[in-house]
Amino acid sequence: MAVKFRDYYEVLGVPRTASAEEIKRTYRQLARKHHPDLQPAAERAKAAERFKEINEAYEVLSDPDKRAKYDALGPDWKGGQDFTPPSGSGRWTTVDVSGSGFEDVDGFSDFFASLFGGAVRAGRRGGRDGARITMPGADVEAELPVTVEDLLRGGQRRIGLDGRNLEVDIPPGAREGTVLRLAGQGGRGVNGGPAGDLYLHVRLQPHPRYRVMGDDLEMELPLWPWQAVLGGPVTIETPDGPVTLTVPPGTQSGRRLRLRGRGLPRTNGTRGDLHAVARIVVPERPSEAERQAYETLRGAAGVPADRPARA
Amino acid sequence: MAAPTRRPLGVSVVGSVPRVEGSLSAGELAAAAGISEARLARLVRLGLVEPAAPEVSRFSAAAAARLRRMLRLHRDLGVTLVGAAIVVDLLERLDRVERELARARASSA
Repeated sequence: MAVKFRDYYEVLGVPRTASAEEIKRTYRQLARKHHPDLQPAAERAKAAERFKEINEAYEVLSDPDKRAKYDALGPDWKGGQDFTPPSGSGRWTTVDVSGSGFEDVDGFSDFFASLFGGAVRAGRRGGRDGARITMPGADVEAELPVTVEDLLRGGQRRIGLDGRNLEVDIPPGAREGTVLRLAGQGGRGVNGGPAGDLYLHVRLQPHPRYRVMGDDLEMELPLWPWQAVLGGPVTIETPDGPVTLTVPPGTQSGRRLRLRGRGLPRTNGTRGDLHAVARIVVPERPSEAERQAYETLRGAAGVPADRPARA
Repeated sequence: MAAPTRRPLGVSVVGSVPRVEGSLSAGELAAAAGISEARLARLVRLGLVEPAAPEVSRFSAAAAARLRRMLRLHRDLGVTLVGAAIVVDLLERLDRVERELARARASSA
């Protein structure tokens, strides 16, 4: 089975004659530049691929035995060429790639596996002995857009991620910026390394009716002038359905009427409040009868008609 | 009014049902980061890991993401944990700025 040759010197950008010191220095520089954790969230997956290539190259070139074995292939190979590992010479380890399925997807390349075996498992990453093969999968961060209704009902959101469909229960108490951890749902590990985590950042979508203020919701309460002046019961739509609240007489614009326990659910099972903020709405096209009533009102008010209202 | 029904948190994936964690205990966080609880306690004392609220030994899931990232930077790049914490802080700030920039661009477009 032919695999693609990998030019590890080219990956690190060092000459074949590079000293161990030079290789280590170059690796550190490349790691600093390409470490997935140092990239913007959107570019992390791509960076993880590149970082894996760099690690694979360093894994081979930093280990004198592996490097000697690799160098023995000769200097004429080019990256991407079909490569059949020499066999039967006894110099080559028996290749066991059953674990990796001979796929250049999760682990080091099949080229690496064909030379050094795919099921080796040892040492810590960046280890001085160079025996580093298993790697944990990358942590994946993604955004989870949610609506106010999702927060209220703790609904399930279905998200598509890398071809998988996940159904995520939004926990009570979730807010804009809340992070949810899904252990082991991130990138797959290398050669049996543990999978990474998936972290979902809750992003609250703007709502046409409700503003979110901590645990509380805020909505507008438009009132006719006579409702504001005289007060009385007014039925409004809330997230819990219609609720009748009592508007106190003499309600000014901006007055907040609080509906206790109609806000967002908290982790302890209680809920925040819903605030209805009064806003006086005047009739734009009053009927003749209305106009006459307002003229009567002007006379009855007992204040100068050509001066601003006093708050 | 009745509190909303609390359902067990879960994610359904074909073949397995992993949990959704909004917060973690000290033990869960240590396991998530692959370190001992004693080491975690040390990191908390040093202020490198912060509990969700003072005097409560629960941690947000964001703290788990942050700690894992710090440990990776420490291990892969050889920076100290204090250095890694600074890097992570700056990266988080950068993320925020980039998100705000994207939002500003979207609203002005």
